[in-house]
Amino acid sequence: MIEVKYFGAVAEKTKCEFEKLSFSKELSLQKLLQDLDEKYEFESLTFRVAVNQKIVSKTSDYTLQTSDIVALLPPFAGG
Amino acid sequence: MNVDNRYNRQIILPEIGEKGQQKLAESKVLVIGAGGLGVAIMPYLAGAGVGEIGIVDHDVIEISNLQRQVIYKTDAIGKSKAKEAKAMISDLNPLVKVKAISEKLSGKNALSLFEKYDIIVDATDNIAIKYLINDACLVTCKPMVYGSIFRFQGQVSVFNYQKGPTYRCLYPDENLDVLNCEEAGVLGVSVGIIGMFQANEVLKMILGIGEVLSGKILVYNTLNNEQQKYDFEKSEFKSVDREVFEEKYNKCVIEEVSFDSVLDEINNDEVLFLDVRNIDESPKISLENQIQIPLMNLEIEIEKLDKNKKIYVFCQSGIRSKIAVELLQKHQFKNIKSIAGGALAMKNILKEEINL
Repeated sequence: MIEVKYFGAVAEKTKCEFEKLSFSKELSLQKLLQDLDEKYEFESLTFRVAVNQKIVSKTSDYTLQTSDIVALLPPFAGG
Repeated sequence: MNVDNRYNRQIILPEIGEKGQQKLAESKVLVIGAGGLGVAIMPYLAGAGVGEIGIVDHDVIEISNLQRQVIYKTDAIGKSKAKEAKAMISDLNPLVKVKAISEKLSGKNALSLFEKYDIIVDATDNIAIKYLINDACLVTCKPMVYGSIFRFQGQVSVFNYQKGPTYRCLYPDENLDVLNCEEAGVLGVSVGIIGMFQANEVLKMILGIGEVLSGKILVYNTLNNEQQKYDFEKSEFKSVDREVFEEKYNKCVIEEVSFDSVLDEINNDEVLFLDVRNIDESPKISLENQIQIPLMNLEIEIEKLDKNKKIYVFCQSGIRSKIAVELLQKHQFKNIKSIAGGALAMKNILKEEINL
């Protein structure tokens, strides 16, 4: 089980601020992002991805571990 | 006026003391944007005794600003934000030297402005200007205190602090389409809270206390009071030097048009065709509203040209004409375009016209 947190415009697409996802076989970060993109159609939305509070490359070769927390962080512009 | 009394409550803090107060008095902070974030930041910097505060904002106060830009009075609608903010600061603390800069921040004024201050605060509301601030901070080696809002969430970070990570390390793609408050909506307190976080980072940096939010982005949610910090690293490829800056922000944009697309303007008296070739060059082109000034004489004979006219510049093949456009733009000519392909291309088109 992992937790995925959504912020800003990304959370508007997912219509939730977080969700817990379980996976049976090995799941890479790239695959997770691909699945989420298919589910929520992020399209042109820009965001950075953090795993356990650390921002990483979306293409990094990382296998998700149980209890990892992934966060999708788009830029904000208001002021 | 008893200065010690004014600042007594912070001077008695062991982390600050007389020494810290002196540091504040010697510091210079530039706040860019006197909107929701800026009005939350400025009073606290002024109250704490920051020596010098610059305010950059070219906007005037509108009634829709007042629900969040709470330092402005209803009867100040239509007045300059920078000037009103300056008046507020001077009322609050006359010891602070304040400068109101009612200009739009651009590639032209950013570097010379930033050089006069120690810390640059990004209190703006659009993405493009955040990249400009970031890049100007890199060139002038100043830290950038960043804050921004999306509805009930805010982000805060400090970029380029002691050569630390920058905005480009966090968000490398600058062609972003992100909603601002005007489009997305915002409650005054949300933007106020984020502004206060920024003011706090500014004061910590000046005083040298606590941990600066460098290489970290703080994300705050005002609806559930959750706050998260995310670490990010410096990307060596995202540096900007003076040359790159000038190229990116201050290069003249030279517009090119095809002769085809301006054929119907040949007889328009508001339009001038400027041939910058030497007198002996052929093919000859003779249009009704045409003047010939060789490129090497252009600067001397510039008064022959009417700034109010639309000018199409051509040469033999379209290279010198671009240089001429750049030169004219430097002399405040606004409506200047270069004809692609020059006289050679024009001759062909004119021939076709005649054959028809």
